[in-house]
Order: sequence, then C-alpha cells, then structure tokens
Amino acid sequence: MKRTLTSALAAGALSVAVAACGSSGTSPSTSSTSTAGAPQRGGTLIFARSADILSLDPTQITDNESIWASENIFEPLFASAPNGKTLVPWLATSYTLSPNHLVWTFHLRHGVRFATGAPLTSADVKFSIERVSAKATNPFAFIDAAIKSITTPDKYTVVITTKYPWAPLLADVALFANGILPANYGGESEAQFFAHPYGTGPFRVQQWVKGSQLVLVRNPYYWQKGKPYLSKVIFTDVPNDNTRSLQLQGGQAQIDEFPPFSAISQLQHTSGIKVDIFPSSRTDFLEFNEAHKPFQDVHVRRAISYALNRKAMIQAVLFGHGTPANSIISPALWGYDPSSPGIQYNLAAAKREMAQSSVPHGFSTTLLVGSGVTNEESLAQIIQAELKPLGIKVTLRPVDPNTEYTEIQNGQYDMAFNYDTTDIIDPDELISFSAMGGTTGQKTRALFTNYNNPQVDRWAEQAERTFSLSARKALYDKIQTQVANDAVMGYLYYSPFVYAVSTKVHGFTVYPTGNYHLENVWLSH
Amino acid sequence: MLLRYIARRLVLVVPVALGVTLLAFFSIHLVPGDPARTFLGDRATPQTVAALHRAWGLDHPIPVQYWLFMDRLFHGNLGQSLYYQSSVAGLIISRLPVTLLLLAYAAAGAVLISVPLALAAARRPDGIADQAVRAVGIVGIGMPSFWVGTILIIVLALHAGLFPVAGYGSSLPGHLWSLVLPGLTVAISIAPMLVRSLRTAMIDALNSDYVAFARAKGAGGTAVLLRYGLRNASISAVSILGINIGFLVGGTLVIENVFALPGLGSLMVQSVLDRDFPVVQGITLIFAVIVVLVYLLTDVAYALLDPRVRLG
Amino acid sequence: MSAPSLELPAIAPAARTAARHRRVPPSLIAGAIILGLIVAAAIAAPLITSYNPDQQDLSHVLAGPSAQHWLGTDQLGRDVWSRLVYGARTDLQVAFIAVLSPFALGSLLGVLAGYFGGWLDGVIMRLADVVVAFPFYVLVILLVFVLGPGTRSIYIAITVVSWVSYARIVRGETQVAREQEYVLSARIAGLGRTRIILRHILPNVITQAIVFAMSDIVLDILAIVTLGYLGLGIPPPTPDWGSMMASGQEFLTTHWELATIPGIAVVITGLGLSLLGDGLADVLRVE
Repeated sequence: MKRTLTSALAAGALSVAVAACGSSGTSPSTSSTSTAGAPQRGGTLIFARSADILSLDPTQITDNESIWASENIFEPLFASAPNGKTLVPWLATSYTLSPNHLVWTFHLRHGVRFATGAPLTSADVKFSIERVSAKATNPFAFIDAAIKSITTPDKYTVVITTKYPWAPLLADVALFANGILPANYGGESEAQFFAHPYGTGPFRVQQWVKGSQLVLVRNPYYWQKGKPYLSKVIFTDVPNDNTRSLQLQGGQAQIDEFPPFSAISQLQHTSGIKVDIFPSSRTDFLEFNEAHKPFQDVHVRRAISYALNRKAMIQAVLFGHGTPANSIISPALWGYDPSSPGIQYNLAAAKREMAQSSVPHGFSTTLLVGSGVTNEESLAQIIQAELKPLGIKVTLRPVDPNTEYTEIQNGQYDMAFNYDTTDIIDPDELISFSAMGGTTGQKTRALFTNYNNPQVDRWAEQAERTFSLSARKALYDKIQTQVANDAVMGYLYYSPFVYAVSTKVHGFTVYPTGNYHLENVWLSH
Repeated sequence: MLLRYIARRLVLVVPVALGVTLLAFFSIHLVPGDPARTFLGDRATPQTVAALHRAWGLDHPIPVQYWLFMDRLFHGNLGQSLYYQSSVAGLIISRLPVTLLLLAYAAAGAVLISVPLALAAARRPDGIADQAVRAVGIVGIGMPSFWVGTILIIVLALHAGLFPVAGYGSSLPGHLWSLVLPGLTVAISIAPMLVRSLRTAMIDALNSDYVAFARAKGAGGTAVLLRYGLRNASISAVSILGINIGFLVGGTLVIENVFALPGLGSLMVQSVLDRDFPVVQGITLIFAVIVVLVYLLTDVAYALLDPRVRLG
Repeated sequence: MSAPSLELPAIAPAARTAARHRRVPPSLIAGAIILGLIVAAAIAAPLITSYNPDQQDLSHVLAGPSAQHWLGTDQLGRDVWSRLVYGARTDLQVAFIAVLSPFALGSLLGVLAGYFGGWLDGVIMRLADVVVAFPFYVLVILLVFVLGPGTRSIYIAITVVSWVSYARIVRGETQVAREQEYVLSARIAGLGRTRIILRHILPNVITQAIVFAMSDIVLDILAIVTLGYLGLGIPPPTPDWGSMMASGQEFLTTHWELATIPGIAVVITGLGLSLLGDGLADVLRVE
C-alpha cells in the first residue's frame, strides 16, 4: 500500500500530494496537484456516497457521512494536518498553556466570517463547545469531559480551563463535534438553523433532501482567500456499490466513495478515472471475549492470532490493498509503534501456543458474523478453515449488523469481527476505548473484550497527564507492546480509504480520520 | 347501493388497521438489537446508552411503549425518527411521491407490455404467437427483479447511455426520466402474471356466446377481439394489479435499493437495519393503508366495470 | 405467497372449451424433464463435481473457466460449478419445504372457512386481510429479523405470509363444493362433518391449491434469492444460489458471470417448475 507523500510544512491550507496505487504506466493516477496547472474556478462537484447524511448538527452525529459533510460547513479552532500526525492552527492562530497545564488560552484568527457575513467571535466558540456536552445523550460529550469552564475575556480570545491536566485537549478541540456555530444559532431557533445550517466553513447548505442529496454552495466570505474553488458540491446518497461506480463512469458523479476493492483494478484501467488510495486510521481485528472460556487463556488468544494468515485475507478481501496489522494503532497516526509485536502468521508457533494452553486438543466455539457484510462473511470462512488445524471448530453465527453491535456490546459473543478508527489524531481516544478496562468515563471494557490490565490503565492515564511528546510516545509504545503480547485482539489488517475519482478532479485529499477539505478541490473543465 | 358497500368496507378497515399496527409494532420491537448501540457505535459508553434509552422512550416496558405509540397516533403524530431526529411524518411525506410514482410507472408499464402480448396470444390459442408469449412469460417468472434491474442498468444506461444510471434526478423532467428503468423493472416482474391472466380472460371472452353471436352477425375478427376481449381484459387487469398491490409495493423495497431511489421502500429497509422503530412503524402503517385503499378501489372499480357483480 | 395471485373472483364467464382428447400436455413432459435433470444433478452432486463446494483456494481466486474449473472460481477460489450443483440441493430443499407448510396451513384454514362460514370465516378472512395488507417483503424482513437469519426463520416467515393465497383458493372451491350433490347426500346420510371435510371435500378442492403450489415454489425460490441479496438469506458457508448472486454483486462490472450464472440456474429451475405446473393445470382442468 502506498502512503501519502507527506510534507512537513502542513501550513494547514494547501493539501499536498495524493498517493494512488497504480500499476506503472497505464492510468495517470498520480498526485492531483502535479501536472494540472493552476486551479480553475467554478463548477459543481457531484460526490456519490454510500450512505445517507442523518444530521448536520455536529454534536449529534456519529456516522461518517454526516461527519465528513459537516466538516465542510463547520470548522474547529485547530485542525489536523493532511498527514494526520500533527495539528495546525485553523480558526485559532495560536494558543498558550499555563505552567500548571490547566489553562489553555486560544487566540482567534481575525477576519473570519460566517457564511452570512457575520464575524467570528469568542462568543460563538464558547456557545459551540459548550453545546457538545450539554445533554447526556450527546454521543461525543465524553470528548470534552475534561473541560471545566470556557471564558471569553475579549472578542478574539477564548480561555478553556480543564479540571485536571489533560494532554489530549488540543486534539479534542480539533474534533468535528467542536466545530463552531454562530452563537444562539445566529438569531434563529435551533430547528430553523439546522434546516439550513451554515458555519465559517467553505460551503453552506443550499438544499437538503434527506435520502437523496445535500447541495452545498460556496461561502463567499470564506477566510482562506481565493477558496473554495468550486461553486457547488452535491453529496448524493447511493448505497449500491455498482450504481456509484456506473455513475462515475457515466459522468453523473465525479467522486465515487468506497468502490469495492475488487473493482479497483478495473477502475484504474478505465480512461478518465483514477483511483486514489489514502491511508486510514482503521484497524480491523478479531476480538475475543475474555469472559467466555477459553479466551481468558492468553495462550489460546496467541495461538489463534498466530494461525491467521493475514496476507491471504488481504488478498482475498482487499485484493492486495492493505497491510497486515501489528498494533491497534494504525501507521497513519502518531503514536504508532512500528516495532509493536503484534502477532503475525506462524502456524508452528500457533501449535506450540495451543500445546501450552488449557485446551491443547482444541475446542468448539462460535464466530459472530454480520450477515450481508461481504467482507466479514469471506473472512469468517477463511478463519474457519485456518483454525481447523489447531483443533478449533468454529461455528459461524450470522446476525444482522445491528444485532451484531448489540451482542458485542453486551458481551454475547465468543469471537467477533470489529474495527476501530479514531476521530481525533491523539492516541488517547483509541487507547481509552480499546485497551483500558472498566466502564467509567470513556471506557468500554477494552472494546467489549473484558480485557483488564491495571498496568495498561496506569500507563494510559499517565499519558493523558504528561505533556512531553516523547514521554507520551514512550508510554503508548509500552501499551502497544503489552496489548500485542496479551493478544487482546487478533489484529488483521490496515485498510485504506479508497476513492474512485474523475481525472477532472484535483486537490482531493483524504485525511487518516477520513475527512476531506473540499476548499482545496477544483475541477478542470 | 354502492355507497353502502363502500361504507361497509371502510368499517372493516378499522380492525385490519388495528391488527396491522399491532403486528408492525410488536414485530419490530421483538427484533433483537438496540438502536442506541448502533447509533453510538464503538463509542457506546453505558452512560450514554442509558441516556439515549431514556430520551427515546425505550426504557418503558413494551406494552407501555405500544400504548404511547397508539396515543400519539390518535393525535395524528407518527413520532420522531431516532436517527434523523426529524418527524416521521415529514420523512414519509418527502419520500412518498417517489414510491407512488414508481408504482404508477410499474402499473402503466405492466399494462403496456402485457396487453399487446396477451392480444397476440389470444388471437390464436396454441398458435405460434401464443406459444412464444407463454414461453417468454414462463421464463420471465423465474427472473429475480434485482438481477433484471442491474442488467437493464448495464445495457440501457451504461452502454447505451439512454437513461441515468441511478438516482432520482433533480428536476421534474429528471425525476420522470429516472423512473423509467426502475418502473420497467417492476413492470417486468409482474408482467408474466398479468399476461397469463389477460390471455385467459381474452380467450374466455372470445369463446363466449355473445362473441359467437357478434361473429355470426358478421363482425370482423379484430373488431370483435378489441371490443370484447379488451373489455374483459381490462376487468382482469384491474383485478390482478389491485390484488397484487402488496407484491408491487414490496417490490419497491428491493428496486429502490438497486436504483438508489429516495422512496419509502429504501427508507424502510434502512430503518429496519438501524432499528429506527418510529420510522418502521410509520411506514408499515402507510403501506398498509395504501394496500387496503387499493383493494377497496379495485373492488369498486371491478363492480363498476362488470355489471354482473353483486355488491353483496 | 401473498405475491402474484391469479385468483379472479368467480364471476368471469366460464369457458366451455371443447373437450380435449386425453393426452399428456407437452408442457408437463418438458417441465418434468427439466426439473428431473436438475433434481438428478442435485442428488448426484458428488458424482458430477470434483471439488468440495467449501474448498477455498486463495491463490486462484476469480479464475475463468478452465479444464480444472468448468465455470471458473469465485472470490475465495471455490469451484463455481460445484457450488452451483450443491446450491441446487440447498435451494430445492428449502423451496420445497417452504411451500409445504403454507400449503398445508392455508388449505386447512381455507376449507374450514369455506365449509363453516359464519364467524369462523370472518375471523380467518380478517386475519388474511391483515397479513395481506403488509407488502410481502416488509413482513418477511421483519420476521427474519425477529427470528434471526437462518433457514428456520425463512420457513416461518414464508409460511406466515403465504398461507393466505391457499386459504382463499381453497375457501372458494369449498364454498362451491359444499353445495354439490355428493356433499348434500353425504350430509343427509348423516356422515360426520370431519369425515365429510376430509374425505369428500378436501380431495376435490385441493387440486387448485396444488396447481398454485407449483407456481408458488418458483416465487419462493425468488424470495429466498432476494432475501440473500438483502443479506438475510441462507447463511454461509452453505452454498446457495441467492448468496452466490449476493456476493457476486460486487463483481458485476468485472466478473459478471458470478452473479449471472446462478441467476440463470434460477430461471431454468423456474422454467421447469412452471411448465410442470402448467401441464398439471391442464391435466387437472379437463376433469
């Protein structure tokens, strides 16, 4: 899998080169800014997506389609750089941290205006961020849990005081949920505002037909001069993979979100189309429920992990567009430890582990599979075959995806497929949910595996209070090593974000968190 | 006479509607799976899950939830979608026209395909045309509709470029044009049945006494066929389409998915997958109302068309 | 299935076709041959295939037809021909069982409704109305969800939805038969109701239901395949045409044969069954 060419400059504005997996020569799937010349203005980009947008209220959304759309309407104080490893100033130009690490003072950028022309002030920031944790039902309330209070000494200064020293705060503030709305909805009622929401972002909503399309038009007051280049962006809801692909080929769409991996090769050889492959923060894994025998036995977990032929799975399911995973953190994020000892394929070692386990002759167990989820169904059958030599008899238990979620979260499974991504570029969110035991705060019993290692918890908590980057990295490295050796999950692979794009599209880059800055995109006519 | 019949039938709708709400409500609530957990995904902390359950009224026992649902229903309120956070009625109203148009296209398409075929077959029973029509019909019955739809897309939309590949278009002409292929797909799925019974009806009509009488008086073959065969056939067509409205509406679930149409069918499937209870209940009710109304209209139309029917 | 019903209220002028001389209709023969071949292939599966349908070969995925693999391999390297033949086993079995239960239930309820009339008839017909008010797939999807994916749920779901057509057909026939001479004389002779129903009425009214069942099997196969497309069909790794078509969807633009070939198998099977049903209808109608 190719990686994005990173550029350390990351001034936050210009996105840099976009990688694409291309076989040599055939299709011009290269960096979209290289030979295209100067950006051209105008045009409508039709973006065909695989699911509907449920809501545009940043404090209420959990699904990718809604999130990535809202990020082009509402912007945060700091944003992640294209390489996903650092944060760059966005609506704020700088910040200072008090010596006791509790008071963060942000200085807002001057000249930023909402799509109505109204200027951005600190009151808008306070209003928006406080909204995120205002209700107990807000899905991302946990991300602002460390915030004690927000004050606005003047129009361009926002002071956030935390309850305790909290290193991930900057990354938390960069989360889409903390995108800035006009204070008091710009004079409208909440319902009125969200019927036609607008922010400081490059686009505002012109029309929204749920289940069909969202039409965005350019924000004439956008603070990045000269941008956005596009006049209009239309997100369409087209759940059927083939239909999206055919629309792209037929010119009815310029971007096809997530074509199936099996179609990549054919699309790359279609003229007028290129396939852009971006590293993601997604890690797929097989999870074990340690509350069910014999998965409390680390040798069993390690044995199963050794028996999984990841390369074969990547070939079968991702058609080669992926890499074996060795850590819960993906290589696209800072904090990833390349030497994390995540177990890889080694059948001999698998048998040795089984011999040392509590069930050396094998056992019977079940694997939860989402019915209709093709990847899971394929992987399940591969895994079933691969565990046979260990004497492990796997019965597949297909349930619909909704039930699958519920059963995993209720601990009603032996083995199940799951994956994790991150919404912020700090490892804290990922590690809290996937490695820490217990259920207080933002924890979910290590992603419902019932893994509970107090040493890991201590390291993670320490990393939250430490402000030295190298010290935090060392802690996260220790956590990754421990969790990998404990084989909490059988890591499968890292899969990229795949987009099939018309060759007329330039400047389209997807960040490891999955979002895109459409102000940088332009169409050649 | 007619009014009394309609009134009596409408009265019978009430227990049926009640049964429908019961079935719809309990079946979706008996489905395992928790909408709150799917909504929150892997960030489902127990606290937020509990808060959502409270907010969505899911912490009451099921009979109480049913009572609350019926109470809201009697006040004309279909509830709030859990996922979209907007009113169910609003969602249904915005998507209903798509499904209704699709059904209209399907009915029209089915008739346009079936009538000429049935005529050709009925002219000379067991003749070549008849055998051909019946063969096509028999093959057609076995074709899965989503398979037919995808092939139509590839051939007529992608390769020939005659129609949009999917979606609903953005203006009225765009809407009408985008519904042609989906309408055709649904029409093809019901055409074999329609052809078969139209053919039978036409043959029966042509063999009847009054046609023999007309022929004896010198009326030409075609004129007879058209006048009596068509009249009889229209009765059958109305009846068959009406009776099978349930099948047609059900077909929209699959076809709206293949063609990415923002109708009630695709919303229904998505809502069942998401366990968006209020939406599932609302759409099921609307579907049932459509079906029952169509049955009523079919019976009335049948009675009007065929004077021999006694509305007893 | 509450799916396409051919039932017309018995008002259309009854055709008085000239009595045909008794010969076996060609459709019956053709249908029997086609179906016979498919059933034979399904039974003899191990003899005519050289691979286990579950056998994966991850180094030879999506291979085209060859000497080793007559129809090529699928995305996990499994032999398509083997999966097709074993799939016939699965689908024919499921469809056959799936049609028996509504047939039995529907006919029973129909005969009861038709014979006794009155409130029993009213209740059964109202129940039928409620079921039929649901578009077929809506109810089936809900039921399969409630019961969990798997063949048992498919049987139950199809039964709950399809009994209505049988009930209506049999009820109509029973109402006619009830007034016939032989029934009246049986009643006068004092024969018990159960006996009358079982031995006199049922055998005479069941023929139409049998004819309907033949076309119903086709619709059941379609339903199972469509459920597979929606991800609710027969769970893997059991080979069946529906899931083959579902997983083949992804490759429609690159390897369209994966989704098309099982579809053709469905069509041919449907053809055989329909011909058989037509022939049967012809034979049974003459008397």
